[in-house]
Amino acid sequence: MRDRVSRRTIFAFIGPSIIALALVGIAPLLYAGWTSLHFFNLTKLRRVKFIGLENYGTVLTDPVFWEAMGRTFFLLASALPIQVALGLGIALVLHRPGLTLLKTLTRLSLVLPMATTYAVVGLLGQVMFNQKFGVVNQLLGGADINWIGDSTNAFIMIIFWDVWQWTPFVALVLLAGLSMVPGEIEEAARLESKSWWVVLRYVQLPFLIPGLVAVLILRTADTLKLFDMVFTLTRGGPGSSTEFISLMIQRVGFRAFDQGLASAQAIILLIITIVLAQIYIRVFYKEV
Amino acid sequence: MKLRNILASTALAAGLAMGAVSSAHAWSLKEAAAPYAGTTVDVVFLLRPGYEAIEAMLPAFEEETGIKINIIKHPYENALGEQVRDFVAGGDLDIALIDLVWIGNFAENEWIVPIDKFTTNPDLADPNLDINDFFPLVLNAFGGWNGTVYGLPFDNYSGLLFYNRCMLEEAGFDGPPATWQDLKDVYGPALTKDGKYAYALQSKRNETQSADSFARVIWPFGGSFLDENFRSNLLSAESQAGLQFRQDLMQYMPDGIVAYDHAETVNAFAQGDVAMITEWSAFYSTVVSADTSKVADCVEIAPEPMGPAGRKPALGGFSLAVASQADEDEQAAAWLFIQWATSKANAAEYLERGGVPARQSAYADPALAETYKFIPALVESWQDGVPEFRPRFAEWPEITEIVQEWGTKMMLGEVTTEEGAQILGERMEAVLEEAGYYSGDKPLAQ
Amino acid sequence: MAAANRRAPPLFWQIALLLVIMAVCVFPFYWMVTTSLKTQVVALNAPPVWFFEPTLENYREALFEDGVLDTLINSLIIAISTTALALALGVPAAFALARFEFRGKKDLWFWFITNRMVSPIVLALPFFLIAKNLGLLDKHITLILIYLTFNLPIVIWIVTDQFRGVPYDLDEAARLEGASQFTIMTRICLPLAMPGVAVSAIFSFIFSWNELMFGLILTRTDAKTAPAMAVSFMEGYNLPYGKIMATSSLIVIPVLIFALLASKQLVRGLTMGAVK
Repeated sequence: MRDRVSRRTIFAFIGPSIIALALVGIAPLLYAGWTSLHFFNLTKLRRVKFIGLENYGTVLTDPVFWEAMGRTFFLLASALPIQVALGLGIALVLHRPGLTLLKTLTRLSLVLPMATTYAVVGLLGQVMFNQKFGVVNQLLGGADINWIGDSTNAFIMIIFWDVWQWTPFVALVLLAGLSMVPGEIEEAARLESKSWWVVLRYVQLPFLIPGLVAVLILRTADTLKLFDMVFTLTRGGPGSSTEFISLMIQRVGFRAFDQGLASAQAIILLIITIVLAQIYIRVFYKEV
Repeated sequence: MKLRNILASTALAAGLAMGAVSSAHAWSLKEAAAPYAGTTVDVVFLLRPGYEAIEAMLPAFEEETGIKINIIKHPYENALGEQVRDFVAGGDLDIALIDLVWIGNFAENEWIVPIDKFTTNPDLADPNLDINDFFPLVLNAFGGWNGTVYGLPFDNYSGLLFYNRCMLEEAGFDGPPATWQDLKDVYGPALTKDGKYAYALQSKRNETQSADSFARVIWPFGGSFLDENFRSNLLSAESQAGLQFRQDLMQYMPDGIVAYDHAETVNAFAQGDVAMITEWSAFYSTVVSADTSKVADCVEIAPEPMGPAGRKPALGGFSLAVASQADEDEQAAAWLFIQWATSKANAAEYLERGGVPARQSAYADPALAETYKFIPALVESWQDGVPEFRPRFAEWPEITEIVQEWGTKMMLGEVTTEEGAQILGERMEAVLEEAGYYSGDKPLAQ
Repeated sequence: MAAANRRAPPLFWQIALLLVIMAVCVFPFYWMVTTSLKTQVVALNAPPVWFFEPTLENYREALFEDGVLDTLINSLIIAISTTALALALGVPAAFALARFEFRGKKDLWFWFITNRMVSPIVLALPFFLIAKNLGLLDKHITLILIYLTFNLPIVIWIVTDQFRGVPYDLDEAARLEGASQFTIMTRICLPLAMPGVAVSAIFSFIFSWNELMFGLILTRTDAKTAPAMAVSFMEGYNLPYGKIMATSSLIVIPVLIFALLASKQLVRGLTMGAVK
């Protein structure tokens, strides 16, 4: 059905992208692979030596690494359901007819959190959640909650900001899904059943599935990448209570300067990411 | 290159020929700098009072020498990483700003030049350099490594006890606690009430945790990081006593002390929420200025309290050293700047503008102690201190990360002081093992 | 039909709900801007004050004394360049993926998209060492190139989709007239795929503008980006909240305005591929 196009033409179109991504994406990975097999400390570059898989052994048996990994998935598991629940609620409200102006304004304001620089979200968090002069405690009726210095509260605070920043994304994606439902079908369903739940479950849900899948994929990837907001808000503290995987690797590589170990950690993270992406994309995105 | 050598030797010959003339002329910065006018010197500065002080004085130097000082400001927590990356990459920095715990690292990597190179060059060395005027402890700890001096002490600290006289008097004390034990058992309960706390110990998980919190409690109780064989000494009864003391003391500190960095601690003191803090001398100007402090009139300074093992105040501070990656001209210009910034002649003005010089002569005038209440305590603590308060060897950047992680976990109660010390010790020894201290490849210097 | 649903919340509750949503979205920005107008003493007041005499001093200091202006310019240069480069490389690739049949196409597409998932820390370490060896640290070009790792996948993802939506008959007609594939792409398909191209450009601009980790590690002074600058005020010695918030406002407000202006495309892009 399609043109037979010469290899040269294909390459002319797609080659530059492949080369560019190979240079900025693959070459560093190969280099990381090389460093991960060495004792490679930035402040001890004279003592670089080949040590085989020792760094990998260290990572695989290091509870600190796996705790950070577990913490990262725990964050995903706590924030994502909230984002989906709230996002769905917002989408359903916005999907109702009427109040057009107000809803347009709401849609506009939903765009704001998503576009905000992640590092700035963390800085804002520091200002707003400060125990003494933070506005959050004031709004909670003069509460004296120690947000940043308490392990549990700090984690809740991270969840709050993650939810604040990404619920709008979920809401807008689901709203788009809702608008795909053919009007007459929805109307018919509403006449038949008085329960919004039935309408949601049997009529609207099928149209929401692709959006939910996209949300799952992107939120997983973004949580594994999460760095900026936490770096500026808690730097992983107090203790290690908000040290997620990307922060941990940054600490090993650029504060303890052990690039060999950090590369091994990064490569293991990459493998986990690719496996997850494979599963997600192969299962849900069949077509190309 | 060759041409340059020839030129240099010609200049040298000319210099020798004119020896009589030049010795008649006194050395002057202006003349010494003449060949380097127009050179730009890159240096990392922190956002702290001592740096602002020298920055304010800088126009005079630039005008006299024609040397341009290009300051790149970084927060402390980024300063090591920035400099390491610059030196590894062969970047533009001409001066290294060295926290005392970085000196072993910088020296072993040969990123910095020993001062000999300049002090033995009569064209560059100020006859009034008077290296012996620096407090020996400070010069040795901040600028020296393995018997060689690399840097001159520039931004100098000692840990001091800042206390709020008004709060103490109100609670019936006419002076600060002399010992840590008193601070906890007597002052603690009396001063912790109505949302106020007796004490705050900055303990955030970064260098603050290692330097200000962890090291501060182990030394006065007779503990240390390492024993004489460089094995962990953290499980010793003394180190454990210190760490346990810190746990017990936390009931008299604000909640969330593990999230307190210097800013939060100083602010809590300046707002009158905390009666005592142990902080660096550099904060003096912050807590006595009415702009930043509500308790300016109540601030008094004492040396840090004593422990069973005596007074072991925290020691910290920065020296400036010439970077070996700089070319000859930049090195000369960098040296002239360092020599000028830390000179005897400038010490008084530096002090006045909020810096803390490490020159003994600067504190000779007893009248100064009235203006700067921290001087007697500072001078006392610089008489004898522990240079290895935090080990200064090349492995510190790795070890401090471990201390920070497990030190905060202890404070949060996630591990006991023993469990924490156990793991911390193992991880610390693994780093030292790797570095070759146990196989005898490396001398046991800290 | 809402009337048919007896469980529908009364109008009042709907309005209240919408207002709450808006307030939650907007309040942090309100607080950011008002804090940026406070002096340090006012900013550190406990409890926080809502009414005070505003000052622009923080902005003056941040922009002109601390060099935030330079970093904003750097960020702008880098974000625009990398977006342009990502489009120049990505649009033809997307065209090929949408129009040509070749072996390994699926894997190639998958590989492109996977790049979007990779944590920047994975690349930051080795990229730093490579840039160091090539003498490319603290150069705009370094960030422009490394930002391709997330911009190119976005462009390819969205634009491939868009090209597939362009009716194939149009190509056919052009090809019969002897047009080259390149002409077909630029003359026929691209104009029709423009919305997708615009969406991906908006995304890659916003992502590049907001990026922190690479900016932090790969630049020092000359190419320092605005987010890296904002972070550098966080010295443990004192926290100039007013100035930090002023810098934050300077970084965020332009991108928010941009996002609002382009909100239609933005929402479209977010939901593209997500709803089908």
